[in-house]
Amino acid sequence: MMKNSFLSMIILYCLHKINGERTVYSILHLLNGKKSSQTIQDAHFFHLTSFFCTFPLLKRVELEMLIDLLKKQGFISQYKEQSYYVTPVGVKRLSEYFKSNPIPANLNGWKYHNLAVVFWERLSLAVQVISQLKNHNSKYLPIQKSKELHQWLKDYLYKRKLSKDELADQLYDELVGCLETIDDLDPSILVKRLTGYQIIGLTESQAADQFDMDVDAYHIQFLGLLHYMLERVGTKQRDFPLLSYMIEDKKRDASLTESSHRTLNLLQSGYTLDEIAHMRNLKKNTIEDHLVEIALNIPYFDVSAFVNLDKQQKIKKAINSVTSKQLKHIRELVPDADYFEIRLVLAQGGEKK
Amino acid sequence: MKLEEHLKQYFNYTAFRTGQKEVISSILDGNHTVAMLPTGTGKSLCYQLSGYLLNGPVVIISPLLSLMQDQTEQLMMNGEKRVIAFNSFLTSMEKNQALSQLDTYKFIFLSPEMLKSDFILNRLKELQIALFVIDEAHCISQWGYDFRPDYLRLGDFRRELGNPLTLALTATATQEVKEEVISSLGLIKWNEYIYSVDRPNIALAVEVVDSYQDKSDRLVELVQTLEGPGIVYFSSKKMAEKMAIQLKRYGTNRVMAYHGGMEQENRVLIQQQFLHDQLDVICATSAFGMGINKENIRYVIHFHMPLQLESYLQEIGRAGRDGLKSIALLLYSPGDEQLPYQLAEGELPSKEQLDFVYRLLEENKDLIKDLAERDNEVRSLSGLTEIQWRLVEDYLFRNTDKPVQQRFEQLKDFINERLQVKRKKINEMLIWTQTQLNGCRRKNILKYFEEDKTIEINDCCDQCGIDLTVFYSKTDNHKSADNFFDWKKHLAKILLVSERD
Ligand SMILES: Nc1ncnc2c1ncn2[C@@H]1O[C@H](COP(=O)(O)OP(=O)(O)OP(=O)(O)O)[C@@H](O)[C@H]1O
Ligand SMILES: [Mg+2]
Ligand SMILES: [Zn+2]
Repeated sequence: MMKNSFLSMIILYCLHKINGERTVYSILHLLNGKKSSQTIQDAHFFHLTSFFCTFPLLKRVELEMLIDLLKKQGFISQYKEQSYYVTPVGVKRLSEYFKSNPIPANLNGWKYHNLAVVFWERLSLAVQVISQLKNHNSKYLPIQKSKELHQWLKDYLYKRKLSKDELADQLYDELVGCLETIDDLDPSILVKRLTGYQIIGLTESQAADQFDMDVDAYHIQFLGLLHYMLERVGTKQRDFPLLSYMIEDKKRDASLTESSHRTLNLLQSGYTLDEIAHMRNLKKNTIEDHLVEIALNIPYFDVSAFVNLDKQQKIKKAINSVTSKQLKHIRELVPDADYFEIRLVLAQGGEKK
Repeated sequence: MKLEEHLKQYFNYTAFRTGQKEVISSILDGNHTVAMLPTGTGKSLCYQLSGYLLNGPVVIISPLLSLMQDQTEQLMMNGEKRVIAFNSFLTSMEKNQALSQLDTYKFIFLSPEMLKSDFILNRLKELQIALFVIDEAHCISQWGYDFRPDYLRLGDFRRELGNPLTLALTATATQEVKEEVISSLGLIKWNEYIYSVDRPNIALAVEVVDSYQDKSDRLVELVQTLEGPGIVYFSSKKMAEKMAIQLKRYGTNRVMAYHGGMEQENRVLIQQQFLHDQLDVICATSAFGMGINKENIRYVIHFHMPLQLESYLQEIGRAGRDGLKSIALLLYSPGDEQLPYQLAEGELPSKEQLDFVYRLLEENKDLIKDLAERDNEVRSLSGLTEIQWRLVEDYLFRNTDKPVQQRFEQLKDFINERLQVKRKKINEMLIWTQTQLNGCRRKNILKYFEEDKTIEINDCCDQCGIDLTVFYSKTDNHKSADNFFDWKKHLAKILLVSERD
């Protein structure tokens, strides 16, 4: 049998989840992390949030090639234009594959895709600089080049009010404390990437080589580790002060897009949808998209201001009675609800269903 | 204080290298100065030390963003904080902020393209520029490197800045190029310090092989036997990657590819791994060139021939910067010159592309008015690369008094002329690689730069006779990465805490 790349298995997994209800390009959008309300909703409905934005650079042609391969291998079969379902052989292959190559339990692209990037840039620079400080060496080339990042680090170090030795010791303790509790991943995956005094970290492909791993499989494990750290640091801030300060300013709205966040602020200040659309010079549709995004991400967000309770009940009933998650089918059962209202209720229900 | 004492004070070096003192003295005496010092001698020090001894900021015009970055970092490593490079590592907010406090910097790095912006130029005008430096000044000349229209305008920019004291630096300029540099900068009176382009500690060799297969086999063999660290240059990113994998397969573990298409973070790591001797070999494109300053590079191999002798000299100039014996080896197989010819053509817009753009402008009359904003549109429709577009744009904007058609005709003539020049350059490179023709390789390079070879050198070149075993490795070239890895120990090594438990 032909060897499958890790990425093709991820795609097979996604195809299995969406079960022919979306085109293959919805997977591209998901893996790329496209911030459209459709993609965001799909990620939730089909339980694929963990993969959101895990391959931001994946190209259309690459996806198409992998789809072709899966088709040739008989793992998928065409159902409609650009839609596939996974064949029983494919399903079997999937469960075998992921039994020996499990997806990291803590992978959470949806929640952490932005934060993980910032966290890694800051963490890797902080480790390098603290290591050099500790060794009394000022002649080194920073591995991160952005001036903004350098400025951030300067403030960060200054505000901690710790000596060089204390900084290094404490960062070591926090990193070990944070990483050693993980049970499904090897912390070396991340540690090999770190740079310090006279030690330059490995690139992603070098590290993957050393672990004898497919580079995409390595990438997912690396992300898994970062997400694990973020989760732990986020819930136990007191145990990891140095690490949690690294993301203190970024955490608040990590899961909302910048624009939706602004809409939320205006809503909370009491403006109506029309007013917000007018003020922000955006289409009402766009503001509605923001609302759906907000409903998806903020569990306590109350949608009854936009869909009255009675209608909410009707829509929920319809959702439970149709097998498909296509809006069209739901709408047929609740003709007096519009698509926005249905999407909002769906979003609020999210994955909890 | 004597200059030597300043050298010690600012850089902790004990003596000047050839030419440095002369150049610096000339500048301090207030003379415009043109300096040609061989690769790796320390040209940067000429403006750095002068800068410290003059009042006011030094503005350095640099051709590459990565070069700017490297030089900025070197200054910062030396403890200088008043450095700014206007490149993509700044957000636009930071750029604006830096511009608003421009007078707080001692060293300001810019590309010639940035001087086009009136805003930046006006800010610079408010400064009392102590020294205006053109690094890699051969880039000014259209006979030198790739055509960069804004380089030709440096003279105008310089005049607008009130003709500040000027220093032009290069390692590789023919007489012709040097003259063009001087005239386009508008220098009337200046001092010249011209030293030989020769790097006597680098042996020169060309090996002719029969086929591509032989070449790739020979490369594997050379990398396994030569003393490292080394760089292998390729003309294509794909080939650099392919051969890096091939070398690994044959047992050279510590090898990586480096080219402009790689992600920033990876490029930085690989460059630093090489500097820290964690890698022995880099399979590179020319992106790994100017600015790369590692002392102990022992060999530079060319898998493809460069497009001109100037580039060849720049690239082999990465070797032996510690003054120790090193070797430059070019592998040639018959027909290799085809690739440079293709590359040279590819750098310029084709006739079809030009016709297309012309028609586009004819059919959309308003397009030409907001061309500056809609360049992406035109570029993607015509498939012009950024460099190609820069050239077209330059012609369209420069001669606005002439009808569009005429501008296009002129552009076509210009491109033809450029193509001829490039072909000529490739030919000169090609002739140099041919063995049967003509004696000592060093002598021929020097002749190209209108110099005579005067000194005799051991292991000069393959034509004079060379003992390749001198350059063989004394140790095992199969160093591999440590297999045992304990993440806590590693982390402790980085953050230097004695290991607990
Ligand atoms: N007087 C000196 N004594 C010792 N080292 C020096 C001296 N001057 C310069 N150097 C060192 O020599 C190295 C090469 O310098 P630099 O990069 O300026 O060379 P360059 O002439 O610009 O080379 P290239 O043509 O490749 O750009 C640097 O590491 C620099 O610190
Ligand atoms: Mg230089
Ligand atoms: Zn010779």
